[in-house]
Amino acid sequence: MIDESPIRESIQGAPDEVMFASPVNAPGPDPARGPTIGETSRDVGHRSHTPHEEMPGNDLILIERILAGKRELFLELVRPYQKLVYSMAVTIVKNEHEAEDVSQEALFKAFKNLAQFRGECKFSTWIIQITLNEARHRIRKKQRTPEDSIDCGFENEEGDYVPIDLADWREIPSETLQRKELHNALETAIANLKQIYRDVLVLRDVEHLSVAETAQMLDISVASVKTRLLRARLQVRDALAPGFDGYWNTGSTTYKRVRPF
Amino acid sequence: MPDENTIVEISCFEVWRRLSDYVDDDVEPELKARLTYHFARCRDCKALLDGTRNVVALIGDEQAFDLPGGASQRITSALARRIAEDRETGG
Repeated sequence: MIDESPIRESIQGAPDEVMFASPVNAPGPDPARGPTIGETSRDVGHRSHTPHEEMPGNDLILIERILAGKRELFLELVRPYQKLVYSMAVTIVKNEHEAEDVSQEALFKAFKNLAQFRGECKFSTWIIQITLNEARHRIRKKQRTPEDSIDCGFENEEGDYVPIDLADWREIPSETLQRKELHNALETAIANLKQIYRDVLVLRDVEHLSVAETAQMLDISVASVKTRLLRARLQVRDALAPGFDGYWNTGSTTYKRVRPF
Repeated sequence: MPDENTIVEISCFEVWRRLSDYVDDDVEPELKARLTYHFARCRDCKALLDGTRNVVALIGDEQAFDLPGGASQRITSALARRIAEDRETGG
């Protein structure tokens, strides 16, 4: 059962649940991993550290000073995390304007609950949890109709995800994200995922939380994180690969699917 | 009798099950060897692997979900105002 309250009760009542009673191991992506296709070694290096890991001591000092009365320092504390918060919000509420509202609300709630943060997890993880809950709260308030999943693969008898297409997508040109068509396709593909898949994908691949952190944040098992992540990545690939393999690069409007069977 | 260097081939379905873990380098060494062996020989699974890696790289790119122009300033200003108001109301 996933708690969808704006801030989990645990932040105010039982902080251990949200702030992780013990430090979570395996901090995010593996910095030792080499670059994947389309990714330079600089990219991997960039992904290997978060603002918190660069200056954890500074965060804790700032938090102490804020709690001692220097409230205006909160803006300085959260500035490096704005982007994390916004990217979490926009992938859930799927609207830039609303994502700004969610970001602001989540940050304000973080301010109001700052005394509850005890440094037992990364500050970034704590603030992502608040944002996740705030964004879900927004969606629940709007009472959106249940989402349909994207045109995606099917399951075989063993429950394996079978891709709809095996288009060959090997190269990502460096300017790839500058292309509006790709950017839109990526946003749409993520937005169209079922929420259980999207949450895991965003926490793992956008926010770069570890599998263990993701499992704790969503209150699901590590095995579930891995299963859902596989499904999410394959579905997004299914949505994007034909464009790369076919009509985006050739200018053709038709694309002949490469069926797996 | 196969020696310890023999790699047992696995099916495409088995490969797909662990594809995401392989991308994250989160598979046991023996299975990793099988998967690597398979990718070197199966064009379809290699396409799937490359595409999945590209998805991870794209989504993880810091430009992918960047703040729109002016958003950072708007969020900061609104937050500053709310924190100031909170002080005035004794929050």
